[in-house]
Amino acid sequence: MPAYITKRLLQALFVVIVVTLLVSYAIRLSGDPTAMLVSGGAAVTEQDLQNIRAGLGLDQPFHMQYLNFISGVVKGDFGKSFFGGTPVWSLIAQALPATLLLSFLSLILSFVISIPLGIHAAVKSGSWADQIVRILSLVGLSFPNFWLAIMLVLIFSIKLEWLPSSGFLAYSGLVLPCLTLALILSAVNVRIVRSAMLETLSAQFILVSRAKGLKDRVVLYKHALRNCLIPLLTFVGLQFGDLLGGVVIVERVFNWPGMGSLAFDAISSRDYPVLQGTITVLALLIVLTNLVIDIAYGIIDPRIGRK
Amino acid sequence: MRYKNLFLAAAMSVLPLAATINAAHAAGTLTVALERDDGSWDPIDTFTLTWGRIGSNIFDGLVQRSTDLKLQPGLATAWEFLDDNKRIRFTLRKGVKFHDGEDFNAAAVKFTFDRLLGPEGAKGPQQANYTSIGEVKVVDDYTVDFILKSPDPVLITKLAGYGGMIVPPKYIQEKGDEYFNLHPVGTGPFKFADYKPKISLTLEANPDYWGGAPKLSGLVYRFISEAATQVSELQSGGIDIATLVPISLIDTIKGDPKLEVESITGPDVAMLRFNNTDGITKDPAVRKALIQAVDREAIIEQILQGNGNPIASLQSSLSLGYDPNLKPIPFDPAAAKAALDKAGVKPGTSLELSFVGTDATFREVSQTVAAYLQAVGINASLKSYETNVYYTDIIAHGKTGSLYQFQWGGWTFDFDNTAYLLYHSGQFWNPYIKDAKLDQLLEAQRSTYNVDERKNILGEVAAYAADQAFEMPLYNGNTLYAINKRVKNLAPTPDVRFRFVDVSVD
Repeated sequence: MPAYITKRLLQALFVVIVVTLLVSYAIRLSGDPTAMLVSGGAAVTEQDLQNIRAGLGLDQPFHMQYLNFISGVVKGDFGKSFFGGTPVWSLIAQALPATLLLSFLSLILSFVISIPLGIHAAVKSGSWADQIVRILSLVGLSFPNFWLAIMLVLIFSIKLEWLPSSGFLAYSGLVLPCLTLALILSAVNVRIVRSAMLETLSAQFILVSRAKGLKDRVVLYKHALRNCLIPLLTFVGLQFGDLLGGVVIVERVFNWPGMGSLAFDAISSRDYPVLQGTITVLALLIVLTNLVIDIAYGIIDPRIGRK
Repeated sequence: MRYKNLFLAAAMSVLPLAATINAAHAAGTLTVALERDDGSWDPIDTFTLTWGRIGSNIFDGLVQRSTDLKLQPGLATAWEFLDDNKRIRFTLRKGVKFHDGEDFNAAAVKFTFDRLLGPEGAKGPQQANYTSIGEVKVVDDYTVDFILKSPDPVLITKLAGYGGMIVPPKYIQEKGDEYFNLHPVGTGPFKFADYKPKISLTLEANPDYWGGAPKLSGLVYRFISEAATQVSELQSGGIDIATLVPISLIDTIKGDPKLEVESITGPDVAMLRFNNTDGITKDPAVRKALIQAVDREAIIEQILQGNGNPIASLQSSLSLGYDPNLKPIPFDPAAAKAALDKAGVKPGTSLELSFVGTDATFREVSQTVAAYLQAVGINASLKSYETNVYYTDIIAHGKTGSLYQFQWGGWTFDFDNTAYLLYHSGQFWNPYIKDAKLDQLLEAQRSTYNVDERKNILGEVAAYAADQAFEMPLYNGNTLYAINKRVKNLAPTPDVRFRFVDVSVD
């Protein structure tokens, strides 16, 4: 196992380097932050632009800029934003918890919704309850997430005035974005749970456990559910990656101060240090999440760990 | 059926959070939504309107603009031009203190401009505006002389801008520039209280303000970049002023009895510029015919829903250099068709129109223009770009189509700024126009202090550009913002630098 983890960590390092290299290079191909900084200045000369570029270190060749960035990261210094000079690390330190909180809560809420519904639909396969769950899931899959977000805002913030419509000024600000993401995730997850459950329920060992006279609850939750978790977990790994990058549109609608918004703004304003820092942290987290999921496979299904 | 209970429990666990939380309307505090967080509150680091909306309440300049844009005394009570306009003497206001208790005096003025014109200023975009100042000399504690190294008739106007706002010398020397960026100290009506990057900036009233204590106890700026999100926050009471108002949502806002929309003439102009160096638009007669072909009044009425005015030159009626006698070329598709025929442009000729794709209003405008051009036999293909790529690459490097979108806010309310940038040869955003007559006129108005003469020359620039049809002037779009009616006494200012000293909230 330790050898395996070391190998995976080395892979992670490789992924982070490749991702940041690509992102840093690509963003430099598409526009010049200095021109954004001075637009509106009365009489900007080429000399002014060059001074600003030199001040930001943009006069150096790309490989030097990238090496400076990497050596900074190794020392724990992600550099400073081009706009205002706030240290990138402090921006990430603020955005990351907001994103992690939203991602975890949305995932958990989606389990709470989708696992019971999925199991119920599978157990009562073909019943009206199953039909309703399947139709709702289809509806959920077809919704654009921003539309759902706007509807929730319309109902809970504007009409009922129960919840803030955007931002993270109080914990109440979590409810609507969390609900939006959880509902969208549930639409997928409920289908995965249902189909995995249907397959498991037709297995011989379920028949055996029923024959042994075990209670329904024990059969479903102890024996069947555990076998359904592997496909769900695989999918959750992918979903968590999406959530970390911020389902950008949802973050925008709710003005959520997370990693997605941070990266989006950095791209729009060509704030290279902020973008590079954000992408590095996100890439690391996504690789680590997948590592954790791989380890979790072994715990859920001991047969995998033994191989 | 236990999982049913589980689901209920989950639902119940969410509900307590939903207990009515409407933190918005704290007594005496006004909340404004701004589209971006500039990240630094140092006056010399920025140029953005969002900065001005905040900075104008923290800092003061020597000169100020009143709400109707007249220049008036700020931290200087009087000024006079001496030595044949080579020296300006300012008499400073007495008894003013910075928020940290430091005295405002001549030394602070000298420090401010030495810093702006020195290496610290070179890192930012403001220095370029003030390079006519050679030196600032302290005469006594409350008198300073500005020695000019080149004539600058707009300098007094510029001193009412951001870069010339006065900063505290002792505070900056002790705490350093980086600390000052995030913990600004000025002489203005509000003092810095708290800053959460990308979330909010909070100011509190400065009861000792020289212009009288503000009626508000505090001011909160929230950074919300989506226009629709600003509007829903306004509707749900999370903010008092939305500064991004999409035209499509104006009716929704007006339908809410608690809210109102302000639509006032501002300095924003929108145009489609021509590539006058290549293709059919090389011919001024063709350019004029294309202008004639487009019903610009209809665009203002239908797409802007009346929130704008027709223009004949690239400035609003508020701008110095505006000539009411210069009229837009009238809409006349028949004449346009005839002129195109005469110029030898065959029906079915195609050209490209470049624009910024993320701008929903302008997307509609572009489509409408294409339809009008189609009616006179020109096939316009629309090509959209991302904002940054568009302005810093496509325009700057002359890669546009024959027609290309340009939008500009003439925030100095003086045509010099817009005209010089867009017509003088070699300017960053002027890839195509190289015209000796324009260069000469633009330089001439920069070297005279006679306002009437400048006005005449700038009028001549506008008339010449219209005659050459360098662009299709589309409209002067209104400055829009929406407010909650609990906000009292907010004067609508075209320069959008809200002045909150006399504002109160119910």
